[in-house]
Amino acid sequence: MIRQGIIVVVSSNDKIRNIISGLLKKRGYSIYEASDGASAIRLARSLKPHLVLMDFNLVGAGAYNTARIIEDDNLSSVIFITSNPNKNFIELLKNMTIYAYITIPINPSQLYQIVEFSLINSSKIKELKIKVDKLENKLRARKKIEKAKGIIMRMYNISEDEAYTYMRKKSMDRCITMEQLAEEILKDKN
Amino acid sequence: MRKRYSKEDVLKISKDLGVEFIHLQFTDIFGVMKNVAITIEQLEKALNNEIMFDGSSIDGFVRIEESDMYLRPDPSTFVIFPWATQVREARLICDIYDKNGNPFEGCPRNALKRVLKEAEEMGYKFNVGPECEFFLFYTDEKGNPSLVTHDNAGYFDLAPVDLGESARRDMVLTLKDMGFEIEASHHEVAPGQHEIDFKYDDALMTADNIMTFKMVVRIIAQRHGLHATFMPKPIAGINGSGMHTNMSLATLDGKNVFYDENDELGLSKVAYNFLGGLIKHSRAFTAITNPTVNSYKRLVPGYEAPVYVAWSASNRSPLIRVPAKRGNSTRLELRSPDPSANPYLALATILKAGLDGIKKEIEPPTPVNGNIYNMSGKERKEQGILSLPSNIYEAVKELSNDEIIKEALGKHIYDRFVDAIELEWKEYITRVTQWEIDKYLTKF
Repeated sequence: MIRQGIIVVVSSNDKIRNIISGLLKKRGYSIYEASDGASAIRLARSLKPHLVLMDFNLVGAGAYNTARIIEDDNLSSVIFITSNPNKNFIELLKNMTIYAYITIPINPSQLYQIVEFSLINSSKIKELKIKVDKLENKLRARKKIEKAKGIIMRMYNISEDEAYTYMRKKSMDRCITMEQLAEEILKDKN
Repeated sequence: MRKRYSKEDVLKISKDLGVEFIHLQFTDIFGVMKNVAITIEQLEKALNNEIMFDGSSIDGFVRIEESDMYLRPDPSTFVIFPWATQVREARLICDIYDKNGNPFEGCPRNALKRVLKEAEEMGYKFNVGPECEFFLFYTDEKGNPSLVTHDNAGYFDLAPVDLGESARRDMVLTLKDMGFEIEASHHEVAPGQHEIDFKYDDALMTADNIMTFKMVVRIIAQRHGLHATFMPKPIAGINGSGMHTNMSLATLDGKNVFYDENDELGLSKVAYNFLGGLIKHSRAFTAITNPTVNSYKRLVPGYEAPVYVAWSASNRSPLIRVPAKRGNSTRLELRSPDPSANPYLALATILKAGLDGIKKEIEPPTPVNGNIYNMSGKERKEQGILSLPSNIYEAVKELSNDEIIKEALGKHIYDRFVDAIELEWKEYITRVTQWEIDKYLTKF
């Protein structure tokens, strides 16, 4: 079965990188490789991969900083690879989108399982994030429109429904969203 | 525009927005930004000018026995970093004071303030708008900067996206978040070279902005896996990075005094005298506006950088150009400075040169409207056109002969600056370069 998914494998250790890439290629994923933090970021920016697997022991800016940039800028989700999952590591792991990691030496069935789970979880989390963002934006817009409506009601001494109809008409006439119109009304008032 | 924050505003905003770290920033003589990081608990102490640091650990500052220095944050420079950090961070730009409470004469920001005060006493405000160029390079597999740009990196990154373009877009958005008004942003002539222009402001604000700008460009480049450099000429044979500086004087209530509608070129007597002062002192302030060995590899014919001391209203090649806009936008554009310059010292010396022109009513030479590069050496000599210094050693020698420009720097900064340059020059001329090996190893 050919599996869907673009994965970037990042490790300064050629051997580890080759083993992981080889195993994942066999399973049908599209694999891209980087050997340092900066090129991992460049690949993540240009490919927007579904997942980044990153050796926690990385040359350059350091794995955690690199992973933070990749997740903060919504480029992908990062799964660390480590031979030493100590307390400090586990503490940092809590800040990541997906709470999972891969251990060295590589155990193929563990690798496959974590990658598969992470791909599914990551796409679910992404969908939820988009939904939350949308709702937040809507809520913000609603608040502005409510405020602006209040101003219009007082200004023209009209009912709530009339004020809403007035604003809708105005925004349609000018081909702008009601949010933009509301912003203008609020700005004028200030 | 500068925000009118008071001490109380800074404390309140920091608390409301949950700022945890504050970077107290200042600039050393060589234009490198320094940081003293404090936690929110120390912010009030900092705003009361009670934070001390060891000046002897900073390049070109002081000797061990006078090392206690105080930082005085300027509340109007308060800004919260908009990029993602682990905890919320902000910064304040500081002036440096000695332990007796006097402005420290080795602080470049104080030096600029001194000259600005002189201008203010003459009734002028100095407005400056920079056009800053820089290169974005790739890093190698060890994370070290290389000279490879996106334009010739095809062998590794298969990107359909131009990483440099997307980094620059991110820089512009970040700068806007920090209150910058961006006027233009584009890919420059050379591969990997970019330019971002922001709106003019009073000189102190602009110098602060240039330092902030360089910091933002570096940080955002890093977040894109790229290395940003303001080195004036990183690659021989292609254009270097300049920092063209647009400037004008205004009355204290903001009216441009460079404009005179009755003049043939639309320039006032003040403008002509300011220009005269710039021309007269240009060979001396070049050491400050172009302060590295590498700077002079940019100031050569053929790459859009100025070489000759001349001015023109019509062509783009001379040292000083008068852009076509008139009225309140009347200005002079000095084309020699490069982004390795310390912006505080560069603007202090440029302004000092112009003010000297006004005080002594120095007339500028006649404008040169032809292409100077096409003239022979004899023609240039007949017209009295000098060249800019051809290396940093010559530039420092010119500086040492100009008491006006030295006064703008102050003795402390001047002495430290010259010492450092002489050291750097000695280091440079004792090197045997690859060019020499290629040229002479088999020939002799």
